[in-house]
Amino acid sequence: MTSLRARAVTGGILWAVAIIVLGLAGLSSYLASQTQARFVEVLETRLSQAVVAVSNNSATTTDLESAIGDLVYQVPYSGQYWQVENDDGAIYMSPSLNDEQLPRPSGQRQGMTRSEISGPNGEPLFVIAQWISVSDGSDWHVQVASSLRRFEEEQVVLRNTLLTAFAFVAFVSVLAALTQVAVVLRPLNQLREEVSGRWEHDDGLEVDSYPIEVAPLVNDINSLMERNREIMRRSRRQAADLAHAIKTPSAIMRNELEMLDMSGAGVQDATDALDRLDAQLKRSFARMRADGTDAAIGVATNLDTALGRMERAFTALARNEGKEFAADVAPGLRVRMDQSDFEEVMGNLLDNALKWASSKVNLKAAQIDDGLIMIKITDDGPGIPKDEIPKATLGGQRLDVSKPGTGLGLAIAQDLIHAYGGKILLAKDEDLGGLAVHIRLRNVPAKRTD
Amino acid sequence: MRILIAEDEPVLASQLKKTLTSEGLTVDVAIDGAEAQYLGETEPYDVIILDLGLPIRDGLTVLKNLRSGGNETSILILTARNDWTDRVDGLDAGADDYLTKPFHMAELSARVRALIRRKAGKSTPVFSKDNVSFDTRTNQVMVEGIPINLTSQEVAVLSYLFHNSGRLVSRTELSDHIYQHEGDRDSNTIAVFVNRLRNKLGSDLIETVRGRGYVIKAIT
Repeated sequence: MTSLRARAVTGGILWAVAIIVLGLAGLSSYLASQTQARFVEVLETRLSQAVVAVSNNSATTTDLESAIGDLVYQVPYSGQYWQVENDDGAIYMSPSLNDEQLPRPSGQRQGMTRSEISGPNGEPLFVIAQWISVSDGSDWHVQVASSLRRFEEEQVVLRNTLLTAFAFVAFVSVLAALTQVAVVLRPLNQLREEVSGRWEHDDGLEVDSYPIEVAPLVNDINSLMERNREIMRRSRRQAADLAHAIKTPSAIMRNELEMLDMSGAGVQDATDALDRLDAQLKRSFARMRADGTDAAIGVATNLDTALGRMERAFTALARNEGKEFAADVAPGLRVRMDQSDFEEVMGNLLDNALKWASSKVNLKAAQIDDGLIMIKITDDGPGIPKDEIPKATLGGQRLDVSKPGTGLGLAIAQDLIHAYGGKILLAKDEDLGGLAVHIRLRNVPAKRTD
Repeated sequence: MRILIAEDEPVLASQLKKTLTSEGLTVDVAIDGAEAQYLGETEPYDVIILDLGLPIRDGLTVLKNLRSGGNETSILILTARNDWTDRVDGLDAGADDYLTKPFHMAELSARVRALIRRKAGKSTPVFSKDNVSFDTRTNQVMVEGIPINLTSQEVAVLSYLFHNSGRLVSRTELSDHIYQHEGDRDSNTIAVFVNRLRNKLGSDLIETVRGRGYVIKAIT
């Protein structure tokens, strides 16, 4: 769909063009008619001068020339002409005609006539003519002419001036339209930035900080975000309830099998089947959890809180096993991950580390650059040989069956980390000599306080 | 040693009770959170096995209430949920250990014994004094390396005294820790069990402090 900005700009331009075309046509038409009226008025005044001159000085040509003494009639082909003739065919004309004649009067002696003719050198002329009778009883045909070329040139200059003025107005209008669009769209731009920003945070958008026209949309976005979180919570709750419903009967069956086993009954096949069932369930629930992270938008986990909880829990668990657990977590870190998913990852990895450590497990979290947080879990256990690392993260592959477990911990952690776009890397720890698990996750800047 | 099992699934509770009782532990069962909290607050248990998914009052609330009331009994949480968050919630609220369902009964009893030992400040599973040794993992008692048969009540008394070695234990305390909540308590029978133990293990092991109780002095 076309953007609002493009629509507004296109609409503004079309509107400006329409106004300019109509304004230009109307204004130039009005000014042209005014100019034309003025042109005719001037010519009529000149005719009046000529008529007065003829009435007073019909006797001699010289008198006429001096009576109609405007300088423009003296310059040859000046564009301003007069011509007078009487009943006898005597013709008097302005010197500007340079002995070329204007058309002779036609037979009918009407009042004042107006016409356009081709004058000297093919010059278009506007002519006003009139028959008059003077006091001595003679009739005179008086005509004055003015060049239309100059009039047309003036019209062109006028049109060009108008066009320039309107082009300037158009330019200013488009600029104003763009400015208006920017001002009007600013709340929407702010909304877009905030939505993508708040996705990284937790709370909803603040409805009060938007214009009332945008507020309903903001409300809808808040509802959508909350609905997404609710869907995720509900599906997790259902998965957890299902796990709960299945695992207690599974525990009962396992205990019955153990008792039968102690009494000498052959239950190995049944025990193996139950082991597979439990492992499959664990794997499936982990997969459901990883798949459900698509709905985990707008979530972030504060590592001070989450790793603080892990530190307290694993300090207690390590003490139970006579081992040492140390945590070094830089304050104020946040990752874009649901807290229970993050704790699932850390729980599985720390549990593995504690299980295999001889005496020590270390946890470290720090920001390595603007956008990344590195979490490192190390232990002083036997580690995993390089060539077996891919197997360790496959899931269900127990590299050593001497300790209890399903072999799913690393795979579950890896699935979840990948689901959130993070990376997990296994290596040998140079300091403690055991396994080092490096996790890289995207940093989420602390929530703005403005 | 007295254990409280707080588990609403009767079959599983019965299996747990059977296993732990067979190992010489005295077991009470609570089938909901309210009962678990009441028993936890009023009876001197050595370990509470607390399922987090209890009816009436969930296990986490019971745990928090017990801890906020100053109860320091070792608590092992049982959870059927997959989430680590549940386990961390429990450990963060003061649980000492956790076990997820389904679990091996042997692992559960090992965890329970480890909790009892740790509470008593003992790091090794085998206690010895002079020529007598007591293996907390198997309840096996030996004198000069020769196994001695003891009744379950005798094991219960000996185990409690060994776990609390170096400390004077009154008859009442002993009966509190070897009889069930609704059991027939008679502190006079404690003297009978102690006498039998002296006959089987030698008279020097358990010392009587007249009118106050019994003590097993420093062990190795």
